[in-house]
Amino acid sequence: MDIQLSHVNKRFGDTAVIKDVSFTVAAGEICCLLGPSGSGKTTLIRLMIGALPADSGTIQFGDTEMPNMAILKRLGFMPQNDALYEDLSAQGNLAFFGGLYHLPKRTREARIAEVLDMVELTDHKRKLVKDFSGGMKKRLSLAIAILHEPDILFLDEPTAGIDPVLRRKIWAQFQSLKAQGTTIIVSTHVMDEVVECDKGALLYNGRLIEYDTVDRLLAKTDSGRIEDLFFAASESEARS
Amino acid sequence: MIQLAKRVIRQTINDKRSVMLILVAPLLILTLVYFLLGDSDYVATVAIDPDAVPAPVIDALEQQELELVDITGDEADQALDYLQQHEDVDAVLRFPENSGMDITLYEPSTKGATAISEIQEAMADINPTAEAEVSYVYGTQDQTLFDSLGYVFLALFSFFFVFIISAMALVRERSRGTLERLMMTPIRRGEVIAGYTLGYSVFAVIQAIIIVLYAVFVLQLSNEGNIFWILLTMVLLAVTAVSFGATISIFAGSELQVVQLIPFTIIPQVFFSGLIPLDLIPYHLGNLSYIMPIYYGAAAIKGIMVYGDGLSDIWGYLAGLTAYALVLYVINTQALKKFRKL
Repeated sequence: MDIQLSHVNKRFGDTAVIKDVSFTVAAGEICCLLGPSGSGKTTLIRLMIGALPADSGTIQFGDTEMPNMAILKRLGFMPQNDALYEDLSAQGNLAFFGGLYHLPKRTREARIAEVLDMVELTDHKRKLVKDFSGGMKKRLSLAIAILHEPDILFLDEPTAGIDPVLRRKIWAQFQSLKAQGTTIIVSTHVMDEVVECDKGALLYNGRLIEYDTVDRLLAKTDSGRIEDLFFAASESEARS
Repeated sequence: MIQLAKRVIRQTINDKRSVMLILVAPLLILTLVYFLLGDSDYVATVAIDPDAVPAPVIDALEQQELELVDITGDEADQALDYLQQHEDVDAVLRFPENSGMDITLYEPSTKGATAISEIQEAMADINPTAEAEVSYVYGTQDQTLFDSLGYVFLALFSFFFVFIISAMALVRERSRGTLERLMMTPIRRGEVIAGYTLGYSVFAVIQAIIIVLYAVFVLQLSNEGNIFWILLTMVLLAVTAVSFGATISIFAGSELQVVQLIPFTIIPQVFFSGLIPLDLIPYHLGNLSYIMPIYYGAAAIKGIMVYGDGLSDIWGYLAGLTAYALVLYVINTQALKKFRKL
């Protein structure tokens, strides 16, 4: 399912946090939302999933304009904080969300086993989440987001605070989901992660300063480093 | 909704402190209240100058549950100084010349009141015509403060502990981001509130059964009515408490802020619950009780336990509680729009 944003604006009080953002992500692509802290990545994701209403502009998934209740069951969302029930086991968390997505019992059990295996938590499925390490919580959070096999997956800083080995494993899982046709929107402030994506949306102070394929974005810099595009935006803003 | 209720139940069971707070804390505090407000068996100490008190009075005082201490005439004349130096003595009783009886107390207190009551009974024994026969439509003269006010505590406990647990849980749900995640699933806003209410209602039913059985059969709290109606009232009150907790959690950003809101939301309800007769509150402030859910619960439980009321007598209070819960349900459902417009 493709995603189209058209002239999306959002203000919090007097502060404009998203300024006239438009871009399109084709079905089955991975799109990175890149930008420094406070650039509007999380707000843009929350606008896309319908957690926040846009002040103006439209957001469409396929032919359906958001927000839309029916489309929610086709979305997966992994928030920036782990957002897990610490007094429940890994299996308990998954069973709860599986129930909310109305997965039939047999399908739910099969999917829980599958995603636990995918995030390498099968041996810890009965452990309470409060006894999990930070990395295990991240992996469980991802497992919940993909449990119902969503068409579009939103991942807000999924690799923040994660060690390089686990980060590589998590990105391998994203690639595997992409191969299955899932459209993925992933926010990150780790510039190196852009090479894992098909498209890059560069946000700076709520503005979309660049949107293109990753190859073309990298070609726009002399050094081959995405940071340079942000430095250029920062200098241009300072001049104006 | 059922999924959410099941999760609330599982989560609460896994949190031993919450289980203790809902099921054990009310019994512990009720037991303390029983001892604090029950028959204390306190024996007051009264000091008299045996040379200045008529012999029949001394005989009558000795028949009472009093400890008599003999003092000198000078000490009796300086009663205030004597009491300041002898804190174990509750009262000094004198019969000054050309005057009536004079009682000096250390301070206004229950201990002093016990001393006065025993002295008055002794006087009534000397002069039986002065003895007043007191009759009650409901209750007896012998019943303790616990018997008179115990119903208020049943209402308070069924509301307060469920309120605390549910308000904290909802604030935690928000601060940990699970509410936002929950709202990204196809669950409806009304189902979220209903699921929470249903989940905690299970504990409310268990709590109500334990508290009522303990109060009536172990602590012997006098009850003139049907236990089933008490249980129904307590469960309705607890259901209202869940909704009230959810509403309070809208205004609280953290668990600490829930605690900070308790003096504004819960403590005033304690004073308007029936602990103090509402008619005694000046400027018609007693009417404020009508906006407080604990009042409806306490009034219904009082009706059942003290007056032996049935459903036909208490339905108005139950309707008040139900209306309260429904209004809060609508407010809470609307408040969730903050997380998802639909």
